[in-house]
Amino acid sequence: MTDTTPVEPTDGQTRDLSGARDMIVCENVSKWYGDFQALDGVSANIKEQEVVVVLGPSGSGKSTWIRCINRLEIHQQGRIVVDDVELTNDLRNIEKVRSEVGMVFQQFNLFPHLTIMDNVTLAPIWVRKKPRAEAESQAMALLERVGIPEQAEKYPGQLSGGQQQRVAIARALAMEPRIMLFDEPTSALDPEMIKEVLDVMKALALSGMTMMVVTHEMGFAKEVADRLIFMEDGQIVEQNTTELFFSNPTEDRTKAFLSQIL
Amino acid sequence: MSEISSAAATAHVPAAAAPEIPKLPPRQWAKENLFSNPFSTALTIITTVILLTISRALLSFIFNPIRQWDSTATNMQLFFTRAYPDEQYVRVWFCLAVILILTSVSMAVWQAGSSIPVARLGRKFLAGGALLGILTLLAPFSTSGTIKWLLAAACVAVIGESTRRFASSGGTERTVNSLTVLAITLAGLAASLWVVPYGHYTYVANREPRVLAEEGTVALTTKLPWTIMLLIAVSAFLLGRWIRDRLPTNPTRVTLLILWLLSPPVLIYVVLRDPSFDMGHVFSTDLPIFVSYAIGGALLLSWLTRPSTGEAGRIVAVIILIAGFCTFLTPMRMVVRLDMLTLAVFALAAPTFAGGPRNRRRYVLGWLGVLSVMSWLITSINTPSTVTVPGGFFIGGFSITLMVAVFTLVLSFPLGIALALARTSTMPIFRLLATWFIEFVRGVPLITILIFFSIMVPLFLPRGMHLGEVAAVVIGYVLFSAAYLAENVRGGLQSVTRGQHEAAEAVGMTTAQKTLFIVLPQGLRVAIPPLVGHCIGVFKETSLLAIIGVFDILYIGRIVIPGQTEFMGSTKENLLFVSVIYWIFAYQMSKASQRLEQRTGLGER
Repeated sequence: MTDTTPVEPTDGQTRDLSGARDMIVCENVSKWYGDFQALDGVSANIKEQEVVVVLGPSGSGKSTWIRCINRLEIHQQGRIVVDDVELTNDLRNIEKVRSEVGMVFQQFNLFPHLTIMDNVTLAPIWVRKKPRAEAESQAMALLERVGIPEQAEKYPGQLSGGQQQRVAIARALAMEPRIMLFDEPTSALDPEMIKEVLDVMKALALSGMTMMVVTHEMGFAKEVADRLIFMEDGQIVEQNTTELFFSNPTEDRTKAFLSQIL
Repeated sequence: MSEISSAAATAHVPAAAAPEIPKLPPRQWAKENLFSNPFSTALTIITTVILLTISRALLSFIFNPIRQWDSTATNMQLFFTRAYPDEQYVRVWFCLAVILILTSVSMAVWQAGSSIPVARLGRKFLAGGALLGILTLLAPFSTSGTIKWLLAAACVAVIGESTRRFASSGGTERTVNSLTVLAITLAGLAASLWVVPYGHYTYVANREPRVLAEEGTVALTTKLPWTIMLLIAVSAFLLGRWIRDRLPTNPTRVTLLILWLLSPPVLIYVVLRDPSFDMGHVFSTDLPIFVSYAIGGALLLSWLTRPSTGEAGRIVAVIILIAGFCTFLTPMRMVVRLDMLTLAVFALAAPTFAGGPRNRRRYVLGWLGVLSVMSWLITSINTPSTVTVPGGFFIGGFSITLMVAVFTLVLSFPLGIALALARTSTMPIFRLLATWFIEFVRGVPLITILIFFSIMVPLFLPRGMHLGEVAAVVIGYVLFSAAYLAENVRGGLQSVTRGQHEAAEAVGMTTAQKTLFIVLPQGLRVAIPPLVGHCIGVFKETSLLAIIGVFDILYIGRIVIPGQTEFMGSTKENLLFVSVIYWIFAYQMSKASQRLEQRTGLGER
């Protein structure tokens, strides 16, 4: 990790985003897997340029929620509006939202049969209909931004976990999304590789990207997040600005959770 | 100070290479691997005895004086092409030359072959000589025969040993390309045709040996063509090398693949064209239909793939689709209807492939390609208009085996993949139809399907349309093969993880793009072993064609040749020969699949 710009820690200092418009609006979102209710009336708004970290014990519905936002999962009740487009069964809306929203997975999910360059350029060429040359120069720029331009001709299997996750971030950014979703991006990584991925994410947050991050990295949350959301049993238990969340949690369950992980 | 510097120096030395596993001397190797404990000793002895017994039995079978090996050698032409008319035989050689040229150029372009150390070659010869010696001792030869064969074995061994010595003498390791070895071997075989009169046979009638045919029948008719074939292959390889060094790689490879795909229909046309065929109908009807669809379709598709066309394109596509179905209500040529439906499919898919001029050109070219192949196939099936596709076929033997296998595989692969995709699709109608089709076809024996298609299909055809028997059977075989293939492909598709689907969806790909770029490449790679198994199966099961009266190589070996007056009852010899031929091709297929797996394994974890 050498090429990313050094990050000035915000130390939980809240940016003033009150004037910004809502990028993601969730109203009373509920979802069931069979009889099991995974999401129970989740309501939250995420503003433009805001960085929101979602916390919670496993099985609390954080991943399900974040995956509902680009319709990898289908919510059964409530409304989700992304950048003024409501997610319904209309395929055109889903395509529109997906091209606006980038997603990074816990297991990277790079395409193992394609080179890094092809991984990054495939969607811009075929979904955005960009000329190949333009897509490739953009991909090189992105790979430089995440610090691995020299790996462009390799295959994902030849890269370390941290490098793969950075390629996954570059692949999502190549679609020029306005929102980035991170679903536990560092959970499958060895400890020494976590930092290189978090640094890329920090730089991204500083560049003004709207981000929604499910993570267990408290350091990252403290340093970068504007707001934290704590979930349990498919419900939002507490949400607050980073500073207040850590210094003055109101709910007992939040306190118990924080005391366990801090 | 010196200690510190030496420590620093060692720190920079890369980690030591893994210790080389020492090569054991033969006796020790045998002790460790074959006689390490009582059980393995017993196993070694029992296996050796069994192997020796089998070899001896086989050798006694082959070298028994009552074996009529001449029946095989003399009937080579029958085996491979059946009764293809002699005056037209140059067409067969032409086809072989085309295949050889394609093979050689492809080998050069794909850089087939590897360099073998000459020393290893020498060791192989040495081992071969030793094996030949052992087999000679096992074989039931007379004393003079044994001595002759032992001398030959010794010669081989001496050549091997001297090669090995020669190779290891220079200090540097000498290598030779495996293709050079192959070329020299083939040249030796071709040269032997000029010397040895193969197929010069005698048979015992009234206890008096009589020479029936003129001397060296097979060698006489084939020595010149085979030599020319060899020269063609070698020069094509050199040409391929020239191409590889001077032309860009990818376009060359794509061109070659297209040529390979085009070769079966073109070659079958060359082989089966009726010499007295009248092209009038083709020029008056088939070509105009093709040209009008080609031009009209190309214009339409280039308009539909323009990004600015948008939703209006889908409406036009649906109108074409409905019109295509409506054509079935009024009498008209089948070609017109099928072309219309294909055009509708292309039009429906067009918005997905919309983009810059390059994308559009590619899409239009795809349409032209599919249209050409389809028109050609339809034209050739409609007998009144063109070729005599195997109806009163005079071709047979191994060439019909190959033809049926190639056509079945080439046609059933796309169909099988489509069925697998339909069965895994989220759309219930497709899923239901594909499942029914697959389960129905898999529940019916192949023989039933072959008989059904050879007898019943011609009855169902509209009046005036003829379908050669083999063509009808190939259609049935394609359906059968596609059903099995679909299940193999489905297994591969299901091995693609959910994460891959989600990643493709998350970057905004449509279902078609996701399938084409992400799911199929990974799924098919996983499915290579079962797919190759399927190919080998299809290749061998063509022998069932004998049941509906096609003279394939097995039928010729089992019934036709043993029925010749000269070679009464030579079934066993010919069956052995046929099985060797089948084995050679099937083994090449599995070797090819191993290579394919290695190549596509690139980048896998």
